[in-house]
Amino acid sequence: MRRIVIRRCLQIIPLIFAVIVMNFVLIHLAPGSLFDVMTSEQQITDPKMLDQLRHTYGVDQPVWMQLVKYIWSVLHLDLGYSYRQNAPVFDVIAQQLPATLILMLAATVIALLVGVTAGVLASIKVNTIWDNLISLGAVFFFAAPSFWLGIMMTVLFAVKLGWFPVGGMRTIGVDQSAIGTVLDIMHHLVLPATALGLFYAATFARVMRASMLEVARLDFVRTARAKGLSGARVVIAHVMRNALLPIVTLLGLQLGTMLGGSVVIEAVFSWPGIGSLLFDSVMSRNFPMVLGVLVLGSLLVAVCNAAVDLVYLKLDPRIRAR
Amino acid sequence: MSGFTRRDFLMTTAGVAAAAYVGPSFAATETPKRGGTLVGTWGGFEPQSLFVPAGGGSSPYFTCTKVLERLIRLTVDLKFEPVLATEITPAADFRSYTIKLRPNVTWHDGKPLTSEDLVYNAMEYWKPISAGVTLDALESAEATDPLTVVLKFKVPVPEFFLKSVLAGKAGLVIPKHVYAGSNIITNPVNNTPIGTGPFKVKEWVRGSHVEMSRNDAYWNAGMPYVDKLVIRWWRDPASRSAAFEAGQLDIGTFNPIPMPDIARLTATKKVVAESKGYSNSAWITSVEFNQRREIFKKREVRQALMMGIDRQFIAETVFFGRARPSIGALHFSNSIFFTKDVQDYPFDIKKAAALLDAAGYPVKSGSRFKMSLVSAGWFEENVKIGQYLKQAFEDLDITVELAIPDRATSLKRIYTDYDYDVAVSNNSASIEPIPQTTQYYTTDGIVKGAAFRNATGYSNPKMDETVSKMAIETDEPKRIAMVREFDKLAAIDAPILPMVDLEPVTIVRTDVRNHSLTADFMGESWAEVWLDR
Repeated sequence: MRRIVIRRCLQIIPLIFAVIVMNFVLIHLAPGSLFDVMTSEQQITDPKMLDQLRHTYGVDQPVWMQLVKYIWSVLHLDLGYSYRQNAPVFDVIAQQLPATLILMLAATVIALLVGVTAGVLASIKVNTIWDNLISLGAVFFFAAPSFWLGIMMTVLFAVKLGWFPVGGMRTIGVDQSAIGTVLDIMHHLVLPATALGLFYAATFARVMRASMLEVARLDFVRTARAKGLSGARVVIAHVMRNALLPIVTLLGLQLGTMLGGSVVIEAVFSWPGIGSLLFDSVMSRNFPMVLGVLVLGSLLVAVCNAAVDLVYLKLDPRIRAR
Repeated sequence: MSGFTRRDFLMTTAGVAAAAYVGPSFAATETPKRGGTLVGTWGGFEPQSLFVPAGGGSSPYFTCTKVLERLIRLTVDLKFEPVLATEITPAADFRSYTIKLRPNVTWHDGKPLTSEDLVYNAMEYWKPISAGVTLDALESAEATDPLTVVLKFKVPVPEFFLKSVLAGKAGLVIPKHVYAGSNIITNPVNNTPIGTGPFKVKEWVRGSHVEMSRNDAYWNAGMPYVDKLVIRWWRDPASRSAAFEAGQLDIGTFNPIPMPDIARLTATKKVVAESKGYSNSAWITSVEFNQRREIFKKREVRQALMMGIDRQFIAETVFFGRARPSIGALHFSNSIFFTKDVQDYPFDIKKAAALLDAAGYPVKSGSRFKMSLVSAGWFEENVKIGQYLKQAFEDLDITVELAIPDRATSLKRIYTDYDYDVAVSNNSASIEPIPQTTQYYTTDGIVKGAAFRNATGYSNPKMDETVSKMAIETDEPKRIAMVREFDKLAAIDAPILPMVDLEPVTIVRTDVRNHSLTADFMGESWAEVWLDR
């Protein structure tokens, strides 16, 4: 187990290096630069002022030099300074990352709960109306664009029924106790997390159903039934546990895409996460911020994947032997 | 606005009244109620920083103007009203102006506002950073007593022009004791600005909202009327509609919701759509012809292309009627300088074709010539306009290569690389045409890499002369005549012309009172706004 953790950590270093170099090159290949955006927005035309700003932003140096300097500072755990936000990159990200993490976590929980339950149900009641309904739901939530789903849920649950707030993460301008704040955030979290989670729940449901049906045919399940275990116990302890492996694999892979999907959901629900920051930064070619988000994002995905590997060990002890 | 006469104009510019302003008189019919939280937004995204000293676009301007104030402001009927200055008086030769500051004004940190602050703003902030070339003629600023400053200029400066600058985007007054000795542009305090305004920044939650609390020590006693101002940002117009419907948003400026939603929401009688309050920041969508290209150097070609565009169609279909075809270089809401007495280009495809034939571009094997059309993708409408123009020009047998790049690429192609034949772009103009409107037409407006100015390469000595005379003409009626001269020349030469004048709307709940009373409402302090609930 320790070997896996160490190996994973060592793999993260070249991964981050590659993320930096690739994205640095990409953003410099895109037409327009942060300097262009900033000076045109601010209507700065005085050549002396332009030179001074070029120096401040560090764009008076050759591009490879900027890259080397950036990598050097990341090695020192310094993500640089964003002149657009007028604040250190890390501070800006640190303000917005927790919101994205909460949203991702909640969406993952919803996706797992809904997806696995639906998958198990569909496999038990295979080829009945239940199975068909669940399949239909899965196709619907998989096909519906998440922004559309988000807006529709807002219209129904926030505007018409008034059960949930229209957007945001907290009720603004009210001082609350710690428990009150947590409840308030959870209240705000329901719609965005459901809108984001249902898409992934759809995939989980389909995979879980197929995996359950496959495992249910295996010999050890027949043995379990033969020794007189109850139906529920066979399904939960024998079939489900073994059918969960592909779900865990999928979960690890989808954490990265969930980070991307949250950009859209954050926009619809004005959730103060990292998505809008990343989008704005790409549009304004603010490369220190883009790289900062991507470096932290890749770190996050890498850590999650390492965690998934550890879950494998728990679920299937045979993996340890290899 | 049409009732604005020349006499009114002369009266308003004869000097700002010394009386403390208590808000426009027609608003005083109801007694304002104190208290409540006002939740506002605008039709765009969160600002990069709450205050961007050099400008930075509409979003930081919208947030910082609730905190930072100016010397004077322009009302919706285009009269100047005192804010931080009680008087601005020109000398007889218009080469110097005496500014009297309002007494007993304090910054949010308790320090008093003095003439030292003003001298610092004039020489260290406005001239080098925010106003730039606009205040090129400013020679010195001198504090003669704690509340009086004399600004001296190299040349005579028209009164309306100077007051426009002071009441405009560049005229915000920042505290000397906070900024002195630092780089104003990169000072970290820009994320929690300190001003004299009715609201103090309490907390900015990035990605969500900024909460502002009432400044109890505000110089205008009794104001602001609301206890709290929350500016929230939604990235999605449909979500703003939902927020209005759910009663979680009170006011949204600059087209906050999708155009088709306006009729549906106002039908509920819970909100109204207000189009007043945009004349000093009047948006247009323009078409620019790159005169570095042989074809577009010919005036007849530019005029023909203007005639080939059905601008009524753009106004009705793309903007759902919230725009109208432009006449000349000035926005129709500019009731002081606007004139209809200029060359117009009504949609006439036959005449356009004949002009192109005469200009030496007949149809040869199916095409007259090839053009690259760049439509700046920062507004969704520009995407549709670009697609429409492609079809309209193809109807004139021109081969069109359309590109709708994102913001950064559009800025670079149009204003830095001049890599286009015909471009669709936008700008917002103040009532005063110098420099925001004129810099699109003058030779000194050509500055490579600087956006929203002369990118077409148009240069006409007669135009330059007209504008430089306008800049120093201090007799107002004569100056108005000169601006109309400029407008006529711009319309005939058509190096770049507005296609449609936009009419943005403010969506506001019916129980929000005293809004949209200034010529650039989203950029004013909102001290007088109150809630009737």
